[in-house]
Amino acid sequence: MIEAEQSVVVDVGIDDVWHYVKDMQRWAGMMPGYRECTLIDADDSRWTLKVGVGGLVRTVKVLVHVEEWDEPERVVFSYQLEGDPVRGGGSYHARRKGAHETEVALRVRVEGSGPMAPMWEAMSRPLLPQLAKSFAAKLKAEIEAAVRARP
Amino acid sequence: MMRNLPTTWDMETGLVSIGSGIGGLSAAITAYDEGAQALVLERSEQVGGVTALSMGEVWVAGNHHAAALGLEDSVESGFRYLKRLSMGYGNDLAILNKVVHARHALRYFEERMGLQMRVIRNCPDYYYRTTDDSVAEGRMLEVVPFAAETLGEWQSKTRLSPQMPYGLTHHDMFERGGVANMMKWDFALMGERLSKDERCLGPGLAAYFVKGALDRGIPLLTGSMAQELIGDGERIVGVRVTRDGKDLFVKATRGVVIAASSYERNQDYNKTLGQQLELGSMVFSTIDGSNFRLAGPVGARSARVPDITSLGFVVPGEEDEEGKPLWRSALPVIGQPHTIVVNRKGKRFGNEAFYRSFYYTIDIIDGGNQTHPNFPCWVIIDSQVREKYPFGAITPGQDWPAGLGAIADTIGELAGKIGIDARELEATVATFNTHADQGEDPEFGRGRHPWSIWMCGDPFHKPNPNLGSLVKPPFYAVELKRMGGTAIPAVGLLTDHHSRVMGWDDGPIEGLYAAGNSVARMETGAVMQSGISNARGMTYGWLAARHATGHPSGLLKEEIKRLGL
Repeated sequence: MIEAEQSVVVDVGIDDVWHYVKDMQRWAGMMPGYRECTLIDADDSRWTLKVGVGGLVRTVKVLVHVEEWDEPERVVFSYQLEGDPVRGGGSYHARRKGAHETEVALRVRVEGSGPMAPMWEAMSRPLLPQLAKSFAAKLKAEIEAAVRARP
Repeated sequence: MMRNLPTTWDMETGLVSIGSGIGGLSAAITAYDEGAQALVLERSEQVGGVTALSMGEVWVAGNHHAAALGLEDSVESGFRYLKRLSMGYGNDLAILNKVVHARHALRYFEERMGLQMRVIRNCPDYYYRTTDDSVAEGRMLEVVPFAAETLGEWQSKTRLSPQMPYGLTHHDMFERGGVANMMKWDFALMGERLSKDERCLGPGLAAYFVKGALDRGIPLLTGSMAQELIGDGERIVGVRVTRDGKDLFVKATRGVVIAASSYERNQDYNKTLGQQLELGSMVFSTIDGSNFRLAGPVGARSARVPDITSLGFVVPGEEDEEGKPLWRSALPVIGQPHTIVVNRKGKRFGNEAFYRSFYYTIDIIDGGNQTHPNFPCWVIIDSQVREKYPFGAITPGQDWPAGLGAIADTIGELAGKIGIDARELEATVATFNTHADQGEDPEFGRGRHPWSIWMCGDPFHKPNPNLGSLVKPPFYAVELKRMGGTAIPAVGLLTDHHSRVMGWDDGPIEGLYAAGNSVARMETGAVMQSGISNARGMTYGWLAARHATGHPSGLLKEEIKRLGL
């Protein structure tokens, strides 16, 4: 199993952050290589991503299931790649730092399965920290921009 | 010689390399070391060229690493090996020139630039046991993993390979059973290398040379397309370049080296020069014949050697960085056990495990009815392959991608799905299976070349690492398409032994040099041997710069005298 953790401070209050992240389509849109997100129901969605690894760009479809919505502090999710023996999960934790400041901690893990599990995890190892970092930066930028743009 | 001087020059340097693969970089680095200024022009936004897409093998006969291991070899033996296999289509002087100088260029870059190479143990010559002067190991070298973080801001601008597992060395892969035995590889090591960005294979080799240029402060101008050579009436003295939409006139006081690879992404050239129809390609779009476009107008002579057409396929959902479908070579796949390739008659037509023999059959024309009897063709596998071996990027345990080929529970049904005669295919598989179980292929001799076993065999599979019956359903068929040979061309610019480009008057074009795959393969003639392309890039770049800076190598003359040729 490979894990990555990334924290970011968003200069927006925790309720405003929650207002933004409660929409799973927005999560998908912040993923590097995002192409499409189809909502299946309130807790399930299918994301289509183009993932780049060392010059190779591969289209993957990811089934994402939210296991817990715990407003406004916590989201726990799991996922499974369609066609590839890779699954995983992660969490979102928000902590109020001030009226207009929220610390967000993101965790994500990758678990390969089957005979090539070590390969899938090896490929994910350099990718995962980059993905978490990029996602966190985009989360901060988008939420702050959304709040600033409010009338 | 044309005279098209600009009114003013925008830049001036000693030697200009067009292309940032091993050929262009070795020329620029050597020129700098010989006291000249140098500059590298790269049309794409990344440096490293096709070298970075390769397996990173460098074939050097009589090298000092093999000698240190006690492996017997010599210049004479390497020369005879290539001369015999070139079948007279090469040029003896070019063969000797390459063999003589590759070992010196290797030492030069190790001592001066920090290149670190070692012998790929147990990697035989293609024709080991088939011809005299072949060796069981020693000539094929690879780099020690390169720490790419030392490239600084160029780390992300130095090309990687989408096809090669560059987190592992040949040693790492082949001590655990080779490509077929991917399941046994040390992926913890691979993960560690990828995390630290330690590059092996072609990306590692290219990175060493990029670092060599950076250490010398040689400018690497990316996004810079050489448009035309500039002559002063007597020699080539510069290049007109477009960069950021503007013309840039670069003066080269010592010379210009064309090391822009070949023409594989130019279908017109593939057809009219290479006699190859509509090729898929693993290389990027700038490999479109710049060598001819630039050198043609100044009277450069081209030359051609016999060539083969490779086979490959595209896995749905895979793309390269340019957003084009990513091509996978069939080479490591079709020689694995439980695998055959058949034509539209449902018949095998060659030794699938030895591409040098098999690929000559693809473009054979049957003059009786003006058809290609062996194209189209299909690779057929059974479920044992799916359980044990990779098929391109599709690994055991991974779902078979939707839209890739056909799947059926019987061979007959599979034949129906791909439109070939069921009884013929069943008969072909039955015959193959009978012999495969005995470890034999009396029809085509598959599994007899040690290199085939090394490259695509499963050494743990008995009795023959390249042969296994197709018995376990479901069965799979994938149509194979024509593919280029990773920019290794049939046609290139004719050069002399100093890498000077020759004109049709059989004299050198002063100030113009070529290296790597831009050069006609007169040192290989009808043969190719893995590792030669990188070796000729490194060697010819070095030779070009030596000559351009006034220090031409005299080794060839000495060897001719010593060998009494």
